[in-house]
Amino acid sequence: MSDQDKDPVVHSSLSRPLFIWSALLVLSLAWGLYDEMYGIRPWKSYQAKFEKLYGRYLKQAMTPEAQAERQIKSSPDYRKLDRQMQAAERQAMPRAGEIDKEVNQTLVPKILALNDPFQEVRSHIGSLTYEIEVSKSQGRKDSLRKQIDELKAGTRKVKLPGEDNAREMKFAEMDALLQAMKARKAALLQERVEVMKAATELRAARDQYLSDRISGASSATLANVQNSLDKFDIRIRQIHIKDVDLVDRCESCHLGTREPVQLTAAAMGGNEVFTSHPDKELLKIHDPEQFGCTPCHGGNGVAVSSVVKAHGYNEHWLWPLHHKENIEAGCQQCHAREIVTEMADTLNAGREIFRLRGCMACHRYDGFDREADEISGVNQDLRQLAQQKAEMLRQAGFDDQKANNPRISDAEAKKLFQDASNLRVRTTTIDAKVEQLDMREGELVKEVKKVGPSLKEVRMKLNKAWIPVWLKDPHTWREGTKMPTFRLDDDEIRAISAFIWQSGVEGDLPHQAPGDPEKGKEDFETRGCMACHSMGEGSQKQGGTFAANLSREGEKANYDYLVRWVHNPRQRTEPYCPYEKKDLTAADYARHGLPFVFDLQHTKCPNDGHELQVQQMTPMPSLRLTEDEARDIASYLMTRKRAGATYADAGFMDDPSLKNKGLEKVRFYGCAGCHEIAGLEEEQRIGTELTKEGSKPIERLDFALLGHQAEDQGWYTHKGFFEHKLADPAVYDKGKEKAKQDRLKMPNFNLSKPEIDAVTTFLEGSVDSTMPARYFYAPADQRQDIIEGWWVVRKYNCMGCHKVHVGQTTIFDSMTRYQDPDWVEQKPPTLIGEGARVNPGWLMRFLNNPALSETDTNRDGVRRYLHARMPTFSFSDGEIRTLVRFFEAMSSQAEPYIAQPLDPLTDQERVMARQLFSSEGAPCLKCHMTGDPKHDAKATAPDFTVAKDRLKPGWTRRWILDPAMMAPGTAMPSGLFRAQGDHMVFAGPLPASFNGYTKDQADLLVRYMFQFTPDELSRMRASAGGAK
Amino acid sequence: MPETNGHNGQPPAGGANSGGDGNGGGGKLANVIAGAKAVHAKAHEELKETLKAPEKTDVWKSVLRVKHDETPRSRALGVLSNVFLHLHPAKINRDAVAYKYTWGMGGMTFYVYITLVFTGTLLMFYYHPSKVVAFRDILYLENDVPFGKLLRNMHRWGAHLMVIMVELHMFRVFLTGSYKKPREFNWVVGVLLLVLTLLLSFTGYLLPDDQLGFWAVTVGTNMARATPLLGHAGPFGPQLGMTPFNDVRFGLLGGSIVDSNALLRAYIWHCVAIPIIASLFMIVHFWRVRKDGGISGPAPVQLEREMKEPRKL
Amino acid sequence: MDLHQLWTILSTPDNVPIVLLLFVVPFYTWYGLRQAFANDRLIAELEANPEMAKTHHRKVQPYKQGWAKEVHVWPYLLRIEFLAAIIVTVILIVWSITLNAPLEEPSNPTLTMNPSKAPWYFLGLQEMLVYFDPWMAGVVMPSLIIIGLMAIPYIDANPLGNGYYTFKQRKFSILTFIFGFIVLWVSMIVIGTLIRGPGWMWFWPGTTWDHNRLIFEVNRDLPDIFGITGRIGKIVFGAIVIALYVAAAALLIHKLITRTEFNRKIYKRMSVLQYVVMQTFLVIMLSLPVKILARQLFRIKYVWVTPWFNI
Repeated sequence: MSDQDKDPVVHSSLSRPLFIWSALLVLSLAWGLYDEMYGIRPWKSYQAKFEKLYGRYLKQAMTPEAQAERQIKSSPDYRKLDRQMQAAERQAMPRAGEIDKEVNQTLVPKILALNDPFQEVRSHIGSLTYEIEVSKSQGRKDSLRKQIDELKAGTRKVKLPGEDNAREMKFAEMDALLQAMKARKAALLQERVEVMKAATELRAARDQYLSDRISGASSATLANVQNSLDKFDIRIRQIHIKDVDLVDRCESCHLGTREPVQLTAAAMGGNEVFTSHPDKELLKIHDPEQFGCTPCHGGNGVAVSSVVKAHGYNEHWLWPLHHKENIEAGCQQCHAREIVTEMADTLNAGREIFRLRGCMACHRYDGFDREADEISGVNQDLRQLAQQKAEMLRQAGFDDQKANNPRISDAEAKKLFQDASNLRVRTTTIDAKVEQLDMREGELVKEVKKVGPSLKEVRMKLNKAWIPVWLKDPHTWREGTKMPTFRLDDDEIRAISAFIWQSGVEGDLPHQAPGDPEKGKEDFETRGCMACHSMGEGSQKQGGTFAANLSREGEKANYDYLVRWVHNPRQRTEPYCPYEKKDLTAADYARHGLPFVFDLQHTKCPNDGHELQVQQMTPMPSLRLTEDEARDIASYLMTRKRAGATYADAGFMDDPSLKNKGLEKVRFYGCAGCHEIAGLEEEQRIGTELTKEGSKPIERLDFALLGHQAEDQGWYTHKGFFEHKLADPAVYDKGKEKAKQDRLKMPNFNLSKPEIDAVTTFLEGSVDSTMPARYFYAPADQRQDIIEGWWVVRKYNCMGCHKVHVGQTTIFDSMTRYQDPDWVEQKPPTLIGEGARVNPGWLMRFLNNPALSETDTNRDGVRRYLHARMPTFSFSDGEIRTLVRFFEAMSSQAEPYIAQPLDPLTDQERVMARQLFSSEGAPCLKCHMTGDPKHDAKATAPDFTVAKDRLKPGWTRRWILDPAMMAPGTAMPSGLFRAQGDHMVFAGPLPASFNGYTKDQADLLVRYMFQFTPDELSRMRASAGGAK
Repeated sequence: MPETNGHNGQPPAGGANSGGDGNGGGGKLANVIAGAKAVHAKAHEELKETLKAPEKTDVWKSVLRVKHDETPRSRALGVLSNVFLHLHPAKINRDAVAYKYTWGMGGMTFYVYITLVFTGTLLMFYYHPSKVVAFRDILYLENDVPFGKLLRNMHRWGAHLMVIMVELHMFRVFLTGSYKKPREFNWVVGVLLLVLTLLLSFTGYLLPDDQLGFWAVTVGTNMARATPLLGHAGPFGPQLGMTPFNDVRFGLLGGSIVDSNALLRAYIWHCVAIPIIASLFMIVHFWRVRKDGGISGPAPVQLEREMKEPRKL
Repeated sequence: MDLHQLWTILSTPDNVPIVLLLFVVPFYTWYGLRQAFANDRLIAELEANPEMAKTHHRKVQPYKQGWAKEVHVWPYLLRIEFLAAIIVTVILIVWSITLNAPLEEPSNPTLTMNPSKAPWYFLGLQEMLVYFDPWMAGVVMPSLIIIGLMAIPYIDANPLGNGYYTFKQRKFSILTFIFGFIVLWVSMIVIGTLIRGPGWMWFWPGTTWDHNRLIFEVNRDLPDIFGITGRIGKIVFGAIVIALYVAAAALLIHKLITRTEFNRKIYKRMSVLQYVVMQTFLVIMLSLPVKILARQLFRIKYVWVTPWFNI
């Protein structure tokens, strides 16, 4: 039939579509395969690339290394070592050769040959023995035993290699022979080792010599690397940590991370990804095999399908990789309880800002400003206990009444009396508790500090008109000040300044005579004020950033108050009773017939006997200056003002109607967080807690209207949130319609970019960690003391004057005056190794009273020759303990310190020592103070009389041997002693008396020093005089 | 292999020879050799035939019962005697093959269902229905498991595809009025299958234990708490003493919140219970298609005037 | 116009099926109706010409003398099925390679997603939640949908259009189904996916899904609008309103199914039971759009307020 008659259903063909789609199917399958092999396995290409680059790098790295090596190898020493090695080997070879021959050619083959027949018989016997054990009938047992005997009796033909004819051997014989040969073999091998010993040691020595002289990877290492690289295979490289069930494949792309050769981006053709971990030290402490990568760095360790996913930058991944500038955020997670973490400077900076700039005053953060929290706790307990006690006594009273009631039986009366007295006894235990709490409180009130100055004293302290100007914008008035800029309108400023002014306490300051600004300037710059305070603006700025810049002090301060403050900053006008929550006035004392006296000796509240806050809550210490010095400095500061600075009269500040509005505002802005303000001492922090801010769900961070912008610009992350907030605290109010009181309160701290990075790092790292306990840094040993010590060291800015750890600089290093050689010696002493140097008991006394004298306080206990002076911080006992333990731990000294006894000096030895001291060769007395005033005036080193309770003998010896090593640039001369045999002898000309003295002379001096007495000192001075 | 030629099943001659009596020297040897030759020739012969016409061998016949040539008979038998194809009739309405009419949705749905069972089974090897590891297992599926990512994607997208196809299938069946006599009941089965499909997909949603699934299921099951009479937030529920701890939602989740129990239940419903039920209904569905006279059309159009009077009951 | 937002919505892997629906459903609707109209033309022809009706093979598909009325499943059907299988496989594989199944944060009961959406095929129900209480939207309605679907074959008294596409012979049923399937089911899924944003607020395509967005909407109960206070009053009033609606709806539907001559014929064939059941379901189905309108136009929250349930 014709075409159009053909049945389309039957005759139409589907082969074309079938073919096409089958082809497509094959294609899609192929695609799927490709995707599986390469598409979602980008690390494969990384590894291929790495292999290529690394190989190339090694080649070019080899050559110079090889050259260096050749040089060393051609050096005579090496040659000598090599020759010796060769010789030893040659000399050992023949015997070694024999041994090898006998072992390999004779013994081993024989043993093998004999083993088979022996084992055969043995296993047969073994099976028969088993039969015996399991068989029931005695007859069977016997017959089996017989079989065994036959077996043992029977002989076998054994042809041992090396023996021309086979021998017939019984089982026992075979056994014996086998054992013998094995023993022989062992003996020989042992002997071989012995023979080669010399050679082996020499070889080791030679290679050691080489490796000592080659910096970086020796060509041997390179060779090894090369070998492993030749065996390089493309596979997932992962770290699996069982207890966390953590899997990190980071090294599947970052292949260079743990290479023995330090790989730089440059070395790897500019591929950052292949570089080695920048800090091998860190890796040693946190071995990736124990810690993994992602716990510190973040990211998605499992993911290898794409860079974005592996780094956890994809949407929905909660733990993205920390960026470079915040990389130390990873530390915070496990080092959360520290204020200083070694090797994490950015993070430390962030913490310090959080502490010093007063973030912690509004935002709770575990560990920061804990004293304040504890105080309120203690007071609560005290109140509860008081209540408890009252109730008990009342109860006791009731019992007595009941008991006295005639209508009840004697028995009951007895019981009631008993109860009453029991209750009274129990109250005494409460008293004990209260006592303990009071003691704790006593410590705490000493320890607690405020970020800013007390505002109770403004009336005495400040130039009234200055306050509103300051509030307007502290940073324009004093650049870089701690006080942040609040977004206040004029009404608020008026109200706040009015409130502050009116809530200030009244007090009568003695009128001070003017001092000498010149001397004041000198003192200010040399006494150590500048370790914390800076002076001069802009480029002239000198001194520390820990405390205020005083360049315009004269404009704001009141002279009389300033004198008092400089003389003793901790002095209060009125003591504060945390228990009653009020400042006490003279009236309170009068009521109890007490004089209005309160200081560190008189800390009890006349009303309730609890501890008072008798100090200003400032870290600023007392420099134990004389009144005159105080006046001089104050007068100097009063001269510090901008020419023609004027302040509009601020009469409104006395307007009582403003006070309440002001109070409300002060509450609202949380001023009481940083400042002590009358009536607001117990204010709570107004900000959100930040302890776990880093792991708060991003949805809970209020980006307000900026959310979408943030997403588009890629900063919809914790990092982005923090950075923008810190740069402009009001940023998330942008475009919002809000009433003033609903706007964001956080003031502007004018942080610099690096500061912002630091704080961001700190916050980003503040997460609710899911890591197991072993990850967290909570050492049980001395390192714990270090953790705690740093809090105190930071709190009082010890590092302004002292080097506390290696590589740190102090403010003095940066001050121009101290660049001058005459002044270098005037820098405060370094505290590196302090724990090893001084006797902890003495250190405790010194910290408690650096004058080391109750009466003569206008001096430095140790180095009277220094202008800079160790101030009196009036630490709490706890703080002193912490500090001492800190220094001991820092130089890993055993706790507690027990002085080892020194064998006493013979009279003759004493004479020798004295002569040596005063001899021309060892002019100790040139620099060290002798107690003779006119000498001490130009002395530049401490007094020997203090040495014996101050120093540790061991350290002293090491010190006199090589001071330059311990304290580079010290005036103390090195090389005073030289080794002679097993003991040290004085390097200079010796006094005659030393002839024939064979003991260690360094020891002699140390012992002399530690048995030093004032009259010995005078005797020595005398002899010194004699010497002249 | 049992390749004896189909025509004569007599044992090979070689056996007879070798089994011969054991006397005589050289002659015996000659016999043996001769016998061996014969056996070899025979074996060679059989092998050749087998290769020429493998379909003649018993093995072949035992597996494939019918000849595969163009004759109508064997074509019919080819379908009828095949366990997979026999849910088709041997012959069908010439126009029923037109995609235009069928849209092929039913068949494709079934096919997708099979792929889902397949991928799903493989996924089960790598997945633990436990709060601790469920999420991590998905990560491993994405990154470690060979073709794991592809598997998971195929499973999810296949599920979506199936839902769409089922709905379209229903749409087609309605448009062609195929639910009418005699296929009413099969339509009912079909609706049940639709519901089961949705439930399958829904129960699978929770398994990755991520925010998406968690909240989807929370929203879904929160409706259950409003069930009239049976939900603690539904009409007359409280009056009947329903609380969050004894109502229908609690029963669904195995708890008052979506948690590990819910995860386990979802898993079991998703991987065991519903698939079995669904398969059963599918069997019925297909069976009924055949029993109700195969696919409904395309049937000749009826005319209004030919409308028969309804049977009075 | 926030195209970025639009793209993020459309490209969310889980929304791809809905995007697919947007194309597939209209296509197949058109595809089916086209054949329906073709058949209708044929029917018209045959109605007009009895002679032809006797001889014609009564299909739009071509047919010639001598062509087999039936064809072998193997190969004529199986090859098509085979082809279909291949195509589906290809589609599925390509889809799976190019698009990754979503995986979000580990589940966190303390952190509610906004918007937290049900799987797309239930978004119709979730959308209903806006207009009805959960017990209605989440339980009653779905059950009724299922039962209603099951009931269809038993309440459709029209013997025509069995096994072939036709529109003319089944106008009412087809329109109803399309209304239910496309307007009430598919379109509500689409709305729920593409238009409902944070807080389940209505965002026109292309506008930004802003989490901070606030809109002023007070929905009042009908009784309150009429100033009816007091529990009993509300119950009674609500009941009356509902009753009125039912009556009106039933009447409307009755009008529809008895509009044309043909429809009346079918109507006559219906048993009372069939009729009642059909009315019930249609009335309930109609209640959904009515409620939606009532809400959107008059901001009415509930019509019938009782202590036990609200509608």
